[in-house]
Amino acid sequence: MYPQTRTFFPGYIKTGIFGYRFADSKNIVSMVEENEVPPRKVDETIARYGVEKVHRVETPRGVEYFLYRFRNFRLIRYLLNWGRMASLFPAHITTACCSVEFAATHSPRYDPERFGWLPATGSLRQSDVLVVEGTVTSKMAQRLRLVYDQMPEPKWVMAMGACAISGGLYAKDSYNVIQGIDDILPVDVYVPGCPPNPSTFFQAILLLREKILYGRVA
Amino acid sequence: MSENVLTVVTELENKFGKALLEKAVDTRKLVKIVVEVDSLVAVARFLRDNYGLDHVKAVTGVDLSRLLKKEDKIEVIYHLGSYTRPELATADIALSTKLDRKSPRMPSLMDVWPSVEFHEREVYEMFGVVFEGHPDLRRLLLPEYWNDIPPMLKDYEPPGR
Repeated sequence: MYPQTRTFFPGYIKTGIFGYRFADSKNIVSMVEENEVPPRKVDETIARYGVEKVHRVETPRGVEYFLYRFRNFRLIRYLLNWGRMASLFPAHITTACCSVEFAATHSPRYDPERFGWLPATGSLRQSDVLVVEGTVTSKMAQRLRLVYDQMPEPKWVMAMGACAISGGLYAKDSYNVIQGIDDILPVDVYVPGCPPNPSTFFQAILLLREKILYGRVA
Repeated sequence: MSENVLTVVTELENKFGKALLEKAVDTRKLVKIVVEVDSLVAVARFLRDNYGLDHVKAVTGVDLSRLLKKEDKIEVIYHLGSYTRPELATADIALSTKLDRKSPRMPSLMDVWPSVEFHEREVYEMFGVVFEGHPDLRRLLLPEYWNDIPPMLKDYEPPGR
């Protein structure tokens, strides 16, 4: 919807969640923003779960549009993104066993504070990243959306574990488990595993940093 | 222990001969007695008063329509336990009844064992069994906006994705 601009580092193209490949340097490659992919079955989700509003990209107009373009000048955007990338305050919502591995990731053996991933001790109003660990039921979905709406912009979401990605053990057959939290939230990084290894989660942290650094500023 | 349990079954047979539809006896611990709906309360009172089965551990519902015999019925099972008689503590005595699947209605056992209140509410929401005489028959755990058939019936289709 905005005119396509070249990314700051045009050598990268993102092909999947964990897959990167180098594109030809001759071709101009623009990054695919996963935020701009519309969430699936939004109307059905609203009808079924009674969630008030589902993620919608709002188009800036007038002065805000010029501010948007200004923030997205390459150097300014890079500096903004660099600052955001280097100090991430996570908030985690624990619904299942993935929180054990989440806690183990913060142990001295892995120590994600080296990369600016702080311990999840703050309140929601100070947090940047929402980590959803585990099964989300249809009753919990409304509360989860409420938690997400309380966080200030900019914010990112990580879906941790098979249950949060696709329903996991409860996929297809369950009457009360929502089949992946991307029905109600815009998910940035999916962390596979049941539950994921701490090293897997660590890789997800690094991926989120890259995504923030090379992405657009809203 | 097994002798005690077996005496329960034989005495029940003597007293409620016609009302006893089936019985399944495992010599180690499990006894299941299937009773007609009309005489369920009488059998329950008899068990409580004479054998010290003073509480209900769990109430289970089973939809029998897709099992091997394909009966068009819903079975409601009361798992009975005893605090007063230690030799019955490990036994699993199940009192069950089979209901019509179209309109499952049965008398509540709240008057016999007050502890079945929440169990019966759960069976009501999961299988749609109406317990007549239950003082507070509301749904227990399902969300308020639930508008589908009870989810544990075999006809229920999960929403999926």
